[in-house]
Amino acid sequence: MSMNPAKTYDQLLAENARLLIQLEEATGTIEAIRTGQVDALVVEGANGLELYTLTTADQAYRVFIETMNEGAVTLNEAGLILYCNSAFAALVGLPLSNVMGLSFETFIATGGTEIYRELMTKGWLQTWKAEVLIQATHGTVPCQLSVTALELYEGVALSLILTDLSLQKQTQAQLKQNNERLADMNAALETSNYDLQQFASVASHDLQEPLRKILIYSNLLKDQHGREFPAGQGRYLDKIIGSSTRMKTIITDVLSYSRLSFHDSTRTITNLRVLVSEVLDDFELLIWEKKAVVTLGDLPELEVNPGQIRQVFQNLISNALKFSKPGQPPSINIECTSGPEAEAEPQATPSAVYCWITITDNGIGFDEQYTEKVFSLFHRLNTKDAYEGSGIGLAFAKRIIDKHGGTIGATSQEGVGSKFKIKLPLYQTTSN
Amino acid sequence: MAAERPVPKILLAEDDGDDRTFFVEFLGNRPDISLLPIVANGVEMLQYLNAVSTEAERPDIIVLDQNMPKLTGKETLAALKQDGKNSEIPVIVYTTYAGHQLIEECVRLGAAMVMVKPDSREGYNQMMDEILLTCQG
Repeated sequence: MSMNPAKTYDQLLAENARLLIQLEEATGTIEAIRTGQVDALVVEGANGLELYTLTTADQAYRVFIETMNEGAVTLNEAGLILYCNSAFAALVGLPLSNVMGLSFETFIATGGTEIYRELMTKGWLQTWKAEVLIQATHGTVPCQLSVTALELYEGVALSLILTDLSLQKQTQAQLKQNNERLADMNAALETSNYDLQQFASVASHDLQEPLRKILIYSNLLKDQHGREFPAGQGRYLDKIIGSSTRMKTIITDVLSYSRLSFHDSTRTITNLRVLVSEVLDDFELLIWEKKAVVTLGDLPELEVNPGQIRQVFQNLISNALKFSKPGQPPSINIECTSGPEAEAEPQATPSAVYCWITITDNGIGFDEQYTEKVFSLFHRLNTKDAYEGSGIGLAFAKRIIDKHGGTIGATSQEGVGSKFKIKLPLYQTTSN
Repeated sequence: MAAERPVPKILLAEDDGDDRTFFVEFLGNRPDISLLPIVANGVEMLQYLNAVSTEAERPDIIVLDQNMPKLTGKETLAALKQDGKNSEIPVIVYTTYAGHQLIEECVRLGAAMVMVKPDSREGYNQMMDEILLTCQG
């Protein structure tokens, strides 16, 4: 097109002003674009108005969505996938390029049509979350879906975020299974315990009855005809009576031991010094006979079952008196060696405060390699002829102490003496 | 000196032959009691009580074995305590093993005592001493 040959000075000035305004606008626009104030431009182009979006404006967000672990998908009104990130493509097991343009319904596992319908209607109106089973190439994946409508590019799109719940579901299933196994084991244990207690009960009754008769008839025989036996044979009867009596003791002890868990576990604050001195009173005769010297130190008040703890001290003191060195009067010391104090725990609850009580004697002692056996059922370190007793006393004591949440141990030296150490909490928790 | 009280008459219900022997053997010679003929179980006990007519045959103290056929000691006790005039007679239940539950139930039903069957002459006599003390003291 040919230009006008000559513009008037005024025409040139007007043109100049117009160009300046254009330049100002252009500079302003570029500035706005550069500082991110503008996301798109409408420009009058050769074919009318044209919309230009700026890819650099949401670059940061694009990177963010691309690298996040969650799957992100954008759908149009028809449910077609406009965009998805690599995480989603990986979730469904397809290359990125294959996913674009597909209907999202492709990835809803069979049976999820209802959910999909809901998604496509409610999701446009408000933020919506649900658990959906997603169909991937390798199988189904449970996902948490979070849906919201967004204004993007040429209009409104549905934006979905998918969180893979596989691991979570697996852990939940495992937990449920473990809990069920635990409940089963508990029930089995309770049944077993109950059966055992029933057995012990019945066995004891049934055993005690004939045993009683053996004892009575043996004694009758001895009383009425003991003198008639030829020399030496009279002791056969004593052996029968002795064994039967021991058997009676064992049965009673076993019954008491087995009933420990089912008997009353009422606990009250008990003054141990008073309790132990009462036990010592019961042993008055034996103490006098053996010329024993017993010293009782200050003992604390603890929350215990008085009857059971009494039995513990009865057993320990009885042992200390019984296993004395022949010819040497027993010397027994009972004292609280430390506490009440908390154990070295960062959070010391009231039940974590303990005290230690020791019973020391100067008796025959025992080889420390047998320390563990000493507390086991029926184990004896001496022949039954040398020292009477069923051998259950310490096992019984240990069971009681264990049930009180404490511990019992022993140190000893053969020919020197023994020291029994009991640790008991001040207060009981309901779990004991 | 006050007139002598007639000695208390003891009636035992016991199904076991040996235990019947022991009762008589160990307690039969005591001057402070008189043993009525032993009945074999709770049913016979009730029948006997309903049949007696003279005061001399009526027991002052009843002892019941717990493990008896037909009617256990506890059941016999319950029946006795519903039985009009007989309900006033003190009842002792004795058994091989006196568990807490049995003791509680018998006491609740009105037993004067629950005792463990003794296993010696001394034991039997001690038991009778305690019974006399409780029922007459």
